[in-house]
Amino acid sequence: MVQFINTIFNGLSLSSIILLTSLGLAITFGLMRVINMAHGEFLMIGAYVTYIVQEIFVKIFPESLFSLYYFAALIAAFAVTFALGALMEHFIISRLYGREIDSLLATWGISIILQQAARSIFGMQGVNVKAPSFLNGGVSIGPCTFSHNRLFILVLVAFCLFIVWFIMYKSDFGKKMRAVMQNRAMAQCMGINSKRVDMITFSLGSGLAGLAGCSVALLGSIDSTVGQNYIVNSFIAVVLGGVGKLIGTVFGSSIIGFASIGIENYTSASIAKAAILIIIIIVLQFRPQGLFTTKSRNLDE
Amino acid sequence: MKIKNQGYNICFAVIILVLAAMPLLLSAGVITSSSFILFLGKCIAFSIVAIGLDLIWGYTGILSLGHGLYFALGGYAMAMYLKLQATNGKVTSFMQTGGFTDLPLIWKPFLCTPLAFALIMLIPVVVSGLVGYFIFKNRVKGVYFSIISQALTWAAYSLFTGLQSYTGGNVGITEMSSVLGSIKGSAHQTNMFIMFYSSLVILVVVYAVSYGLVHTKFGRLLIAIRDGENRTYFSGYKVSTYKNFIYILSAVFAAIAGEIFVNFNGSITPTQMTISYSITMVIWVAVGGRNCLVGGVIGAFLINLCDYNFSSGAMVEIWQYILGAIFVVTILFFKGGLVGIIRDQLPMAIRKVTGKEAG
Repeated sequence: MVQFINTIFNGLSLSSIILLTSLGLAITFGLMRVINMAHGEFLMIGAYVTYIVQEIFVKIFPESLFSLYYFAALIAAFAVTFALGALMEHFIISRLYGREIDSLLATWGISIILQQAARSIFGMQGVNVKAPSFLNGGVSIGPCTFSHNRLFILVLVAFCLFIVWFIMYKSDFGKKMRAVMQNRAMAQCMGINSKRVDMITFSLGSGLAGLAGCSVALLGSIDSTVGQNYIVNSFIAVVLGGVGKLIGTVFGSSIIGFASIGIENYTSASIAKAAILIIIIIVLQFRPQGLFTTKSRNLDE
Repeated sequence: MKIKNQGYNICFAVIILVLAAMPLLLSAGVITSSSFILFLGKCIAFSIVAIGLDLIWGYTGILSLGHGLYFALGGYAMAMYLKLQATNGKVTSFMQTGGFTDLPLIWKPFLCTPLAFALIMLIPVVVSGLVGYFIFKNRVKGVYFSIISQALTWAAYSLFTGLQSYTGGNVGITEMSSVLGSIKGSAHQTNMFIMFYSSLVILVVVYAVSYGLVHTKFGRLLIAIRDGENRTYFSGYKVSTYKNFIYILSAVFAAIAGEIFVNFNGSITPTQMTISYSITMVIWVAVGGRNCLVGGVIGAFLINLCDYNFSSGAMVEIWQYILGAIFVVTILFFKGGLVGIIRDQLPMAIRKVTGKEAG
């Protein structure tokens, strides 16, 4: 029983991390049809920003305030990646709408540059972030222990999910966003500034990657390849869930998360990773459009 | 007039002639380092992959981000054979660490030379055939294909690093000589030359086969699939079969390249199977020029030559920035790559300049 609860909790935790990394992709890929291969590098930037904010707090503020650094880091990570996303959208992505495969390749070039920049600035060695004191330890219920930082990530993901859902489906901006993505020309005729919508949407996706980086920083050391470890799972989660559906991404991430933990109980982590990917590729053969699809009569969708 | 249409072939012939002269220059003492020839040998392997990638991406419009998988499959199969040759069929050290006292079952066929060579060709065909059959039959296309191929490569990479006692894990299979015996050092220079020239012949054959293929009706169909897949379906062609065939062919080219690579490199690691390595291959084609076979060859040589010269010393950091920038700029502004610049953009610019002067 204890092991079962632990498995469930670990699965939930892994799912939440995958979900956080794929939320941004669900927006940039799902809505805008831009394959942002540099998404993993935005995640890396978010993680490094967390590290920088921590160093600043250590130097400037008294030790009693140290734990608060994490909240500052969350805001900073979001702001930095949001701004970078806006820059990238303006100079590169805006030229690539409708050219999905080219957007994939061009952003890969960006990702090479960003990775090298990380190596030049922070060195080859990974850096570590010290978790704020309130995230140490865990909650014990009976014989099961749930660590604080994983619970915190769970809450953070729920919060992000709610915000994204609210923006996409309940806010005025979300309406404009969906209108532009569904029929650009018509939306423009209705007086929507589609360029601005594009830029904010893409920046939002990038900002979410930054937040994901912030939470990933709590889990292990940060180096220039940290983004690469998450990017494949995130893309697969979005594709498995069905492109353009938020609920699909939630399910996609959960399936990958729970299945990975489940298989890991029986074999090593790397073989579990391989097994889960192969299973998903097989599933996608039966539902090439993903689990949740938008009904369309368009042949090319 | 006829010469004009042969531009690509002439370009390819020039590259081949320059390459063929390299070992002679080494003998004459113009080039001093024999490792440069080994490096060029690897470049030949890379340009074979590039031709294969160009066939599926440039001509058919399928972007595979997982050709490193087939490159490495060919490489590993070759390496398993060569390793057993080097150890006389004894258990390797990584197998001993993994607890094997006898050869694992998957290694046994590689003891027998003809069977090994059959397997070296057969494994990539079977794997790519299976993958291609299901993916194309279910009409997975465009970016979905790219993402799935990337995931597949990642899965294979995890598997190869995970099964340490079978594949050597992260270290891979190392310390092998080539099919012809050792090719390193001046004592074995003849071996190296034979290896180099036979690789060159393979490159020419691969190019000729591809060139012949894309200039038949089949090649026209590939372009039709790229430009209007549904229309091709409606015209009564079974697109999935065509796609599958060209996918297998390019996988086989990648595998052949992997085999050549192992012979020159003397080792194979899972690095050759990573996603970034696979996308690097796409970079070669994009920079050289997609949709024309010689473009991939040019790109593979150019990028790797830069890599070779800049991968040590002060340039190593800057080179990564330049590589990324070249790639972004190529995709954004020069869809045809280098070949496209020379073929389209340059004449246009010249016309513009001279036109203005005349006016």
